[in-house]
Amino acid sequence: MTHANAADSQAYINRVRAEIEAEAEARRRRDPELERREREIERMWIEVAPPGAAGSQGELLLDRADRLAMIDVDVPLGSRPGIRQMKGVIRKGAYWYLRYVADQVNALNNILTRLLRRFDERINALEAAAGVGDGDGLAESVPEPTDAVADVVASVLGSQVGRTMVLGCGSGVLVRPLHEAGITVHGVDRDALNILPGVRDGLDLRAAEPAAHLAEARPGEFGAVVAAGFVEDLGPTAAQRIVEQSIAAVGNGTVVILASDPGDRGVVERELRAGRGLSPATWSYLFERAGATVDLVETTDLRLRTLVVARLV
Amino acid sequence: MNAVRVHQFTAAIGPRDAVSHHTFEVDTLLRDLGYESEIFAQHVHPDLRDRVRDYRLHADLEADVVLYQASTGSPVADYVLTRTEPLIVNYHNLTPAEMFDPWEPHIGAELDFGRRQLGRLARKASHGLADSRFNATELEAAGLDDVVVAPVLFDPPRLRRSGTIDVGEPPTLLFVGRLSPNKCQEDLIAATAALRRWMPEARLELVGATSSHRYETALRDYAQRVCPGGVAFAGSVSDVQLADAYAHADVFVCLSEHEGFCVPVIEAMATGTPVVAFAAAVLPETIGTAGVLLDNKSPTNVAVALQRVLTDRELRAQLVENGRRRAATFSPERNRSVMREALRRVVEDCV
Repeated sequence: MTHANAADSQAYINRVRAEIEAEAEARRRRDPELERREREIERMWIEVAPPGAAGSQGELLLDRADRLAMIDVDVPLGSRPGIRQMKGVIRKGAYWYLRYVADQVNALNNILTRLLRRFDERINALEAAAGVGDGDGLAESVPEPTDAVADVVASVLGSQVGRTMVLGCGSGVLVRPLHEAGITVHGVDRDALNILPGVRDGLDLRAAEPAAHLAEARPGEFGAVVAAGFVEDLGPTAAQRIVEQSIAAVGNGTVVILASDPGDRGVVERELRAGRGLSPATWSYLFERAGATVDLVETTDLRLRTLVVARLV
Repeated sequence: MNAVRVHQFTAAIGPRDAVSHHTFEVDTLLRDLGYESEIFAQHVHPDLRDRVRDYRLHADLEADVVLYQASTGSPVADYVLTRTEPLIVNYHNLTPAEMFDPWEPHIGAELDFGRRQLGRLARKASHGLADSRFNATELEAAGLDDVVVAPVLFDPPRLRRSGTIDVGEPPTLLFVGRLSPNKCQEDLIAATAALRRWMPEARLELVGATSSHRYETALRDYAQRVCPGGVAFAGSVSDVQLADAYAHADVFVCLSEHEGFCVPVIEAMATGTPVVAFAAAVLPETIGTAGVLLDNKSPTNVAVALQRVLTDRELRAQLVENGRRRAATFSPERNRSVMREALRRVVEDCV
């Protein structure tokens, strides 16, 4: 039986999408051989593709610069008799001059591409020395907000908030009361398995990287943006980006940040999340600096004691 | 009062080419609207020289409105920019040059050139037409304020199928589109290879001519390594063969990184073939909720999606129904009607 109603059919397709992503993740976890096979398939493409075709944008540009750096003065002559001889004579006559110019341009290009490579190596070395990415996944993941916190968020936003996006939605705790209040709301979480129960309950939850999803929002597209979970793993620069992008996404709306205070962390969490996570006071400072009016809303929750509510007027 | 003269320009005109077909359809609509219409191009296929003139012969002619079909970099655009008549740009999208650079640097250079030309065209034009909101956004970003979304004009193959899988036949995946780096046929091959872990008989059919022989050679080599005997390269096919390919396909799968509209997706939906696609570029807009859109196209994710669509009867039925409904919104009659109104509006604004 099929869903004739467009909304039902959309909810059904959304559920199938979430189930597919969760099933793929579950199969990978069940069968380590699957991941090895996947890497093998991808490696074989790299073997047959030219340099740069299967790499990142930065590698591609470096390869392109390398390839274009060398100017070839031996122009092709073609194969048609007569024309071939004529082109040959012209080439011979101009060769001494072109060679002289090309040698100098090639020498300069060679220096410049070598310099680019050196810069690339230096940046990689600096990133390695700074330990970018170290410690990821060692700390326990941030627990989901409680239903009581979700109710506070819903009451702060009210029922006339407009289209809302919840970043780091987990299983949908924050999305559910907004959905039940009749607000058009969708949630985004990087864990495809985590969102599945909520999707099956009819919530619009999507598996995606929250920060990347926010970056794709059009200016003023949303009435409110709520961010939780992943924001506790952000350093100051990444947090500032979230502030700027969420302000752009809501236009004249509201941004709510749910973040625990790093000062409340235990020893293990403090060390494993060193340098990551900002207190509500710092979030508040960043939003005010960007021109928002900020309220710090107290809750009864022991972890998320203060919510940052930034309003743009 | 004399009829308004609209002169259309495009880089190349040939048979079995989407932009060429669109250009001829626009020509017909302009005549229906009572305008005088002529087409000019740089490269004209010998069979079409009675309908299209060389743009280099245009210099002494006068028009009331110039309409440029933009899909690549071309000296024709430079010529159009020298004209003083009001200019309308019909934008069909330009593939990002980076996608071609490693394979065919000269095509990458041509696309880069086209992108720079687009900026100049957008600044000079008074009106724009775009196949999709996605393309309209690019044209607006290039500097043109007044852009109307009007779909590309095409005729889907006239064929219907039941939506059920032929018992005893191996599961067949289909993609229709030129072998081109932006269409990522390597990801289709990788997904087929992954699917064959659970459905060893599954096969992939790739229909379409090639944009890069180097890319095609790599694809054939790759298919031989990871999916021996499981990938068929059909090349360019006739309309009858195309309809046949849709009729025998169990799933249409598209993992392109960049598309400006993607006519084959609509053709697949019109013929009752379920669609699985990577949610990139225009595809979410073209497909809507009529297909399974994936945010992640790792071989395993795509394979799981394909297996689900191949084995879940309820899902197949829903996708076929949604697809037919979606395709109906792009019916040739409706598309022509939308384009006719768009042309009337922009031409009348110009004169």
